[in-house]
Amino acid sequence: MIHAVLIFNTSGVARLTKFYTPLHQSSQTLIPKIFSLICSRPASLCNFLDAPELEAFLGPKGEEDERWRVVYRSYATLYFVFVVDGAESELGILDLIQVFVESLDRAFENVCELDLVFQFDEVHHILAEIIQGGLVLETNVEEIDNSVQVSAKLRKESFASANPLSLGIGGVGGAGSRGGNLKSPLGWLTGKITGGRAM
Amino acid sequence: MWERTLQDLIRGLRANKKDESKFIAKAVDEIRKEIKSEDMELKAGAVLKLTYLDMMGYDMTWASFHVVEVMSSAKFHLKSVGYLAAVQSFDQETDVLMLTTNLLKKDLTSTPAEIAITLNGLSHIVTPDLARDISPELITMLTHSRAQIRKRAILALYKVMVQYPEALQQGVTRLKEKLDDPDPGVVASTVNVLCELARRKPEEYLTLAPQLFHLLTTSTNNWMLIKIIKLFGSLSPYEPRLVRKLQPPITELISTTPAISLLYECVHTCIIGGMLQGPSGDSLARMCVSKLAAFIQDADQNLKYIALLALVKIVPSHPHLVAEYQDTILASVNDQDISIRMRALDLVSAMVTPNSLQSIVQQVLSHLVPDTSSSTLPTATQSLAQHTVPTSPTTAKPHISPAQSPAYRLVLSQRILNICSQSMYENVTNFEWYLSVLVDLAHVANVDIGLQIRDQLVDVVGRVKGVRRYAVKLMYTLLCDDTMLHNARDEGSCSEVLWAAAWICGEYCSELSEPHKLLPYLLQPEVANLLPEIIAVYIQATSKIFGHWAAEVAQRWDDDDLPEVKSMVDVIVGGVHEFVSNTHIEVQERAANTLQLFTFIQADLNAYRPKPIDNPFAEASSSFDPIASGEPRFPKSLYLLQPLHEAYELNPVALAAQASVPIPDGLDLDAWIVAPPQEPVLEVDAEAKARKVKKGKGKEVNGTKSKSGKKKHKEEVNGGNGVLLTPLEDDTETPEERMQRLAERRERLREDPYYIIDDRPSTSRVDDLDSIPVVRLEGMPSPAPEVDDSHMLPSLRSDYTPSSFAIDRDGEMPEGAVVPSRTITPVPRESRASTPMMTSFPQYEVADEGRTSTPEPIKVTRPKKKTPGKKKRTQNSSTLPDASNP
Repeated sequence: MIHAVLIFNTSGVARLTKFYTPLHQSSQTLIPKIFSLICSRPASLCNFLDAPELEAFLGPKGEEDERWRVVYRSYATLYFVFVVDGAESELGILDLIQVFVESLDRAFENVCELDLVFQFDEVHHILAEIIQGGLVLETNVEEIDNSVQVSAKLRKESFASANPLSLGIGGVGGAGSRGGNLKSPLGWLTGKITGGRAM
Repeated sequence: MWERTLQDLIRGLRANKKDESKFIAKAVDEIRKEIKSEDMELKAGAVLKLTYLDMMGYDMTWASFHVVEVMSSAKFHLKSVGYLAAVQSFDQETDVLMLTTNLLKKDLTSTPAEIAITLNGLSHIVTPDLARDISPELITMLTHSRAQIRKRAILALYKVMVQYPEALQQGVTRLKEKLDDPDPGVVASTVNVLCELARRKPEEYLTLAPQLFHLLTTSTNNWMLIKIIKLFGSLSPYEPRLVRKLQPPITELISTTPAISLLYECVHTCIIGGMLQGPSGDSLARMCVSKLAAFIQDADQNLKYIALLALVKIVPSHPHLVAEYQDTILASVNDQDISIRMRALDLVSAMVTPNSLQSIVQQVLSHLVPDTSSSTLPTATQSLAQHTVPTSPTTAKPHISPAQSPAYRLVLSQRILNICSQSMYENVTNFEWYLSVLVDLAHVANVDIGLQIRDQLVDVVGRVKGVRRYAVKLMYTLLCDDTMLHNARDEGSCSEVLWAAAWICGEYCSELSEPHKLLPYLLQPEVANLLPEIIAVYIQATSKIFGHWAAEVAQRWDDDDLPEVKSMVDVIVGGVHEFVSNTHIEVQERAANTLQLFTFIQADLNAYRPKPIDNPFAEASSSFDPIASGEPRFPKSLYLLQPLHEAYELNPVALAAQASVPIPDGLDLDAWIVAPPQEPVLEVDAEAKARKVKKGKGKEVNGTKSKSGKKKHKEEVNGGNGVLLTPLEDDTETPEERMQRLAERRERLREDPYYIIDDRPSTSRVDDLDSIPVVRLEGMPSPAPEVDDSHMLPSLRSDYTPSSFAIDRDGEMPEGAVVPSRTITPVPRESRASTPMMTSFPQYEVADEGRTSTPEPIKVTRPKKKTPGKKKRTQNSSTLPDASNP
């Protein structure tokens, strides 16, 4: 099972935290710990983080329990970190991170850190199309992209119907211009709308 | 209209980096207002902002009711916000969850999009109560027309079954059907869930094997194949036939698949699934290990890492296969990547054998040595150079910091101690070497591991008599070396080792040729730097060493010795005096005691007048024999201390020793020391009383306690008014009666919370002391002969005695110990000569022709106890075989 998905940047600021299993220690101590260990690792090293300092967080909690593993990948200014147990294939998770990043890339068109900052809810929705409750839901990027688009479209339509006047403030959102990537004819319009969702 | 949106909040946060907490406090105030608003859009906006702040570590549990409100919104985009907030902030303790049952049920009947977010949300927030209420709806969801929903329902069902196991039976039946679902994604999700379930209780999912096997041989989806392979890894240990069935397809996959992740999982499953046993398994094992070895040598660090993970699991069953790659693996301990080092350490520890221990420990130890001081490193590394595997000269010592991080150094140090001490020093063949490793470790570790090293030193020296002479010399040099003393207060100085050094030198000072030379080191002023516990041991050791030396001097007394003894006593009195006013109570007490004893000795020495050989008075009292006059020629106080310390030898105590101390005759542990106050008994009806007594011992108030208690109780039950029983009855009790009485008593005590009942079978049989075989352990009869090895300092450790060492693995048992009969059976007197030794050391099973210099192991004799009372101590030892070794 996947126990946590974390994204943080090269300064250690969290961009996404998702815990599928309640932690026995606060997430606010785990993230800095993982970050401090990862950021000192050169890119040439392996993608599995294993350090004595982590035993308290991830060590086996029972007799048969296997210790959790931290699998991470770095993309530009971001670290994608998955915390998983023995039911997951280590190399498979590396691929899954790649799937996640590709999905983000499709949704945001050349995803960058700012997209994740300003549309963190959208990132959660995309992740929810890949992993549900710690189990892998879908691994095919096409399928994921379709689902993401469908649900994004529904949210936008729902928003538009609830805010008939919202077109006027459509451009307020900082990432508004990047938000819309729908293939539908209304794509350019709804994209602007979501970006500036006035709530 | 002017409320902040999430984007405004984020922008504000970015603009106010310097004063973030103030900005957030203000924002949270706004949110608190907005969240109470009637406007659902505004409320949802506030919840979304809170969710963002939650990620940054700000509490949002206070808003959980508002989250539920937003979840219940009819608008899809608001509902998504609500569910997102719930997923991020709710946990099992969130009380508003009980309000969501109907909401979830309703949402599960809504549009596919809403069902999807509901199922996703449910997977996170499900509690046992929710799981119970929602499981019927969820199970019907499994047949939803859209594959998308079926997938989500399957994954959500797993979470529900975890929380509410009663749903398992029905759920698993439905999951089996889903293995035949037309949609491959649904099948993959089902496999995924089954994989998780089978990890918990593999034996219950064996019936799925045919279907899974079909999928294994037909599917091409690597994601799913990995999970199926993993699933079989959980199942096959429970079904041997499965192993035979799986071997061909898995072997096929291993040789053909281009996907490394799948290949790796196949290898991994072969290992954990027990597929490497038997003749066909052997070639598979060879194939697996060779694949993994290729991974280790691969340039991809990830493959290296996982290969090490898998090799750890194959070592127990196929150590010889892994041993072929020992050099490669040892080199990985030296990898620049700490993740790989950690796994390599695991693997290396699993690979340790008596033959490889020294080279492996040497290798690990060398990682602790700072690069600069490698030339000055005193001991094991150099002296071991001759047995080490040649480390590849190309491996440059890594210079990156993680290798020197304290946590990593601690792991390394602990690992060394663990691999050496595991299974009672199973792999250590040379204890002199091990002691030197311990001392080296104390010098180079530079982390807080002194306590463990100390305990190991004391344990080894206590258990392995043959190493004591060497140990004392090693510890002597340690005590004379003042670098550790000077750095004692530094972190990671491991100064606790000095505790062991002082203790060992004190306890085994008879092994030292000139023990008194150590005394000034024990009393030097810098000792005050040490921890109080160590100072206390120093003082105690001073007294032990002087006691031993003084007795020695007295034996060969020459009046010329007097000045030396006197000056030594002066040194001690002066040194100990420093600690009399120490603030630590233990130090103070020991110092005060020691000071008084030595002041006495000092006074005696000062009063001593040498007695000339031709004593004029001798003729008067008793001619020719000055000793007979009762006046020894040496100062009597020289014998004051020795008996205090050397009357008994300290031995390691067996784990079961305390429990095995026999209860002396006539001692009844169950008798009241002070009888409880008598409760008023209104009616002296015999029957009533009998019932009362039956209830429990606490009510028993009669004066005739102790052994007659049960007897009396029994009489009362049987005869009615049996109040007049006396303890004399006990003597006429037959064994059967006694057993019955004891059984009854145990039965009663079982209910009594103040008794801890020992249910081990042994206790039921030990009551009859007279019929129990007695195990007696004897100390070593002959000490090792003197060898002039004063030159044997750590730096010359190549002189290790090649002999092997006897380890006292079991420890001392009390005299007349009562050992559970399941471990020791009575042995007839005649066959005692062939009684196996308690130690399982193979060397000692063959009786050799002559006694050699190595110590003998503990002998175990099991004489049949004939007479009660005193144990015979020495009678049988001579009939034992001379167990010694070449």
